[in-house]
Amino acid sequence: MDWFLSLTRQETTHSRLIAMAFLTVLTLVITFFLPPVADSQLAGGAAIAIVVLGLSWLTGWSGQISLGNSGFMAVGAYAAGIWAHHHASTPLVFTFVLAIVFGGISGLIIAIPSTRLRGPYLAGMTLAFSAAVTPLAQNFTSVTGGEGGLFMNSLVTPRWFLHFFSGPNAAINASAQWSADLAVVVAGVMFFFMANLFHSRTGRAMRLVRDNDVAAELMGVNLARTRTTAFVVSAAYAGLGGALYSLLQASVRPETFPIGLSITLLTLMVLGGIGTLSGAVIGGIIYSFSANLVAHVNSLTGVNPTSNVGANMQGIIFSVLLILTMLFAPRGIVSLQYPLRRLFRARPATPTPKDVHL
Amino acid sequence: MIRVEGLSVNYGAVRALRSVSFEAPSGQITAVVGANGAGKTTLLRTISGLVSPQSGTIHLDEVSLLGLATEKIARLGVGHVPEGRGVIEELTVEQNLRLGALSSKVNLAEGLEEQYARFPVLGDRQRKYCATLSGGERQMLAMARALIAKPQVLLLDEPSLGLAPQVTAQLMKAIRQLCETQDLTVILVEQNAKSALRIAHQALVLHLGSVVASGDAATVAADEDLRRYYLGVAVS
Amino acid sequence: MSVFLSSPFMHNIFAGLAQGIIYSLVALSLVIIWQSTHVLNFAQGAMAMIATYIGMTEIDRGIGYWWCVIISVLVGMALGGVTERVLIRPLYGKPEINPIVVMVGFLGFLEALAAAIWTSTTRNITEPFSQIYFKSNGHLVFLSSFIIFQIVLAMGIMLSVAALFRFTKLGLQLRASALAPEVSRLLGVRVSRMLTIGWILSAGVGAIAAVIIASGNFGLFPTDMDGIFVASFIAAAVGGLESPLGAVAGGLIIGLAEQFILAYWSPDVAPLGGIIILVVALMIRPQGLFTKNTIRRV
Ligand SMILES: Nc1ncnc2c1ncn2[C@@H]1O[C@H](COP(=O)(O)OP(=O)(O)OP(=O)(O)O)[C@@H](O)[C@H]1O
Ligand SMILES: [Mg+2]
Repeated sequence: MDWFLSLTRQETTHSRLIAMAFLTVLTLVITFFLPPVADSQLAGGAAIAIVVLGLSWLTGWSGQISLGNSGFMAVGAYAAGIWAHHHASTPLVFTFVLAIVFGGISGLIIAIPSTRLRGPYLAGMTLAFSAAVTPLAQNFTSVTGGEGGLFMNSLVTPRWFLHFFSGPNAAINASAQWSADLAVVVAGVMFFFMANLFHSRTGRAMRLVRDNDVAAELMGVNLARTRTTAFVVSAAYAGLGGALYSLLQASVRPETFPIGLSITLLTLMVLGGIGTLSGAVIGGIIYSFSANLVAHVNSLTGVNPTSNVGANMQGIIFSVLLILTMLFAPRGIVSLQYPLRRLFRARPATPTPKDVHL
Repeated sequence: MIRVEGLSVNYGAVRALRSVSFEAPSGQITAVVGANGAGKTTLLRTISGLVSPQSGTIHLDEVSLLGLATEKIARLGVGHVPEGRGVIEELTVEQNLRLGALSSKVNLAEGLEEQYARFPVLGDRQRKYCATLSGGERQMLAMARALIAKPQVLLLDEPSLGLAPQVTAQLMKAIRQLCETQDLTVILVEQNAKSALRIAHQALVLHLGSVVASGDAATVAADEDLRRYYLGVAVS
Repeated sequence: MSVFLSSPFMHNIFAGLAQGIIYSLVALSLVIIWQSTHVLNFAQGAMAMIATYIGMTEIDRGIGYWWCVIISVLVGMALGGVTERVLIRPLYGKPEINPIVVMVGFLGFLEALAAAIWTSTTRNITEPFSQIYFKSNGHLVFLSSFIIFQIVLAMGIMLSVAALFRFTKLGLQLRASALAPEVSRLLGVRVSRMLTIGWILSAGVGAIAAVIIASGNFGLFPTDMDGIFVASFIAAAVGGLESPLGAVAGGLIIGLAEQFILAYWSPDVAPLGGIIILVVALMIRPQGLFTKNTIRRV
């Protein structure tokens, strides 16, 4: 973990670029050694990590909390899905940009009335938004396909990539891995942007607003604009993550974006560590392996996975983890490095980061 | 009687009280005077258990108040009129008074009657919301609210703040009378050293958290050096 | 007259009020907690749901309807008190995001738990009153004994809460603790106990709402209260979160608005109704339509 953290905390754009490229390539190499099932899980995790990063930026850097990011995901997913459903041959980059733009716009619409609100009001407002999205998608059947959703077939494995594979399941293996690699590259790019955003003028203004809005205003920071920007960026990340997630599933459906998804996102963010790149990575990894984790707990406790209890095990585990983390380790898993570092090193103690303001 | 020994309070790096000791006997007014930031409010808040001290002891008669919850201390008979009066604006005059009487065993109706007799203006304003009261009326209400519970000890934090000189004089006289007739222990914190020392029996001068002088109020008031250096009273 | 009462317009009025009064109850329960501890309890609906589920299990064992109501409310109150002591107490003085996160986690936990124990299918209680609409001179009036029962029960609860706050010693201490905790402690009020009592009271009021829903036509399922919570939050926020009366009025407004959007505009956009009302209300009066003071830190 240590080397990774130090890599992402580089000071210049150039070194951040190298660090992110290195990590992305490393992950790409790993996908070659994973079985197809693990590759698909990894792909889903990468998509979710993008969303978690956007949420983490909003909460950790601007001090606003949103329960609406599952809604923004849905907006991005439907924007991409509706387009890709009708125009299967459009380059993926265009579809992604579409998702980012629509996600961002929905964020802007929610942000404008919300930036005057703080804490609980904002959380309630965004919850109201995400609660409205699923029924809307179900109602406007002619556009969204209603309950059944829409199918897309955008992630076609290129010919040249197939050459790496042989054997009876070559096509399936190649497709799973191509999806995973694509998701990892997209996530790498988004993490790189965010690393720069953290260190930008906007990022610094954001922290000022978070820590002391009155002082920030006196220093000439436009509060409303700063908070709105934070929201739009967060929603754009959610939109892209939602689109990627749906493209990986080859379909977009209302049931993918329940209110519970916002709770999952919150859990992943808090577990990893609010306001940090590595926290979002950890969140994505946890998401990837959540199915395995749940299966493991079910077998340990002897619960039948198809029973009621088994089916709800994930919800129970995640929410208990969320509560315990918030009560006892509000800085998340990332913060575990500090006691560990102190244990393993004789160097002077690392100062605790001010990243997380909890 | 309140007895404080070796009381020290820190707010982080700020040392608000440094080993303060004194005794406030019953039936007497003990004035605590000193410049802004001397630690007067901190002293009262520590006695009431709102601030926990680094070291030292506080006794009400023979009972140690250290570590007791604020509400428990209040129920033991320590009435505290906080800085800025602490009148609850969203409640009516009568509701504020009721609240004061709740935690003691006094008869509510009699208590109300007694306080309205003492402060007739409160009787006239019974059903008014406190947000509509004037500063002086609020001060009276805060006093009445503390007195209605029949406390043994009355901690007053700058009761004269914002009052006209005549009103202050009346108030001080009322405090003195109360103290003597009811055998109250009064600790009176005042910015306005002159008027406080005039009515107090004893005085305590705080400077940057330390007691720089204590003793008979008249003696403290007469001490030129104290007046010049610590009380900021122009030498006449 | 009976023609008017049986018009579609009146149908919408009655249906809107019946739904709105449930929002009013939940909104009121949110306001009670908000006033005492400045926490917006995201798990309020889920806590009420669990309490009612437990009450319903008892009804399966053959107890009568009213016992079920009483058990649900008592379980709800106990849950409220325990929640405040265990989950909320450690977070006083922490940033306001922390209790939000914890209560959202608790919401997820309760919903998953209920689905694990009782499955996610709808359950309902046999209602004690008929749901069949009255007839007057051969015209259908869109009121039933059940709707009247629902409105009377909710009004009764709300009036009792109002009376408790206005006329009792406990109510005075609850209000004082919320308004000025430090001064209250100086006056001998056991403020931390008052905070717990606030949660107990609020959870009891919430449980009543869930019982009514479970007794109605459509029953109750584990995530059922999510939508109710959102509408009730909007109701409370429109009223300003500080004002019990505002919360009740807000609930009725939202209930009626939803019904009229559904009936006269388009059922497709109905889910957005609440948000639109909230946005408009916040634009007009950001401090809430029913709060007296003009400055509020939100
Ligand atoms: N809550 C607090 N946190 C940190 N420092 C504090 C706090 N309260 C008081 N202080 C500091 O402790 C010192 C004593 O403050 P205190 O309020 O007791 O003074 P005071 O004598 O009552 O002054 P004044 O006459 O202005 O009311 C001051 O330096 C003040 O800045
Ligand atoms: Mg003071």
